[in-house]
Amino acid sequence: MDREAEFRRLYAAHRVAVHAYFTGRTADRQSAADLTQDLFLRVWQRLETVADLPADRQRAWIFTVARNLSVDAHRHQLTQAGTEQALALARRDPPEPASAPVIAAERVAVVGAAIARLPEQQRVTLAMATAGQLTSAEIAAALGVPAGTVRYRLSLARRAVAAALDRYDEPREDQ
Amino acid sequence: MSLDDDLAAWAASVRLPDAEAAAMFERIVRTPVVTPPDAPVSSPPAAAAGLDPSWWRHFSAGFAARMVASNRPVRRAA
Repeated sequence: MDREAEFRRLYAAHRVAVHAYFTGRTADRQSAADLTQDLFLRVWQRLETVADLPADRQRAWIFTVARNLSVDAHRHQLTQAGTEQALALARRDPPEPASAPVIAAERVAVVGAAIARLPEQQRVTLAMATAGQLTSAEIAAALGVPAGTVRYRLSLARRAVAAALDRYDEPREDQ
Repeated sequence: MSLDDDLAAWAASVRLPDAEAAAMFERIVRTPVVTPPDAPVSSPPAAAAGLDPSWWRHFSAGFAARMVASNRPVRRAA
């Protein structure tokens, strides 16, 4: 087996989804990158085991390891720090009227802060759907939950983000 | 701007850049592969140090014979 070619295939197939999953779990971009590297290092070390599995079980194996990694105590501390940082950002005073690029950046920050405040299951699901570009069925398979549950979580998460954006838009509409 | 546009903009801001992903890939594939502890052992187990088992068989048999002989009642002279 050409180890590097096989690993490249797995990395290309799952990297975006795995990083989106960790983004949802940690609400922190750097922690998500670190965890993604940790996970694929394990895939590299266990490549013979993973490569022999059917495609659907490869995904299940990868996300089982991802779940185990993300509950690590040290990582949990990072998660808390990342969430608190995001919440602190959300508590800032409303910004002054600004130019279009600044408003766009602010809207991204509002969305990020709203996502950081979501319950973890909703945050992970929304991150996998948006940043990971996975379908409800793919998210369901990765997380081991029914597709209907995924769609429900997505609906709640999107509603919460929309409400946060409405609150952001209101002051400017009053002016 | 729609909610989907806002979410897409957020997703773009958190997504791992391709250059960073490529660097991560290179770091990983340069890592030596460590054989997991539960991997099958490829070489046969080393022979146990010490005396050959046949020596112990002879020794045990001789020891048993001496023990039996030493406990046999002494035959008195008629």
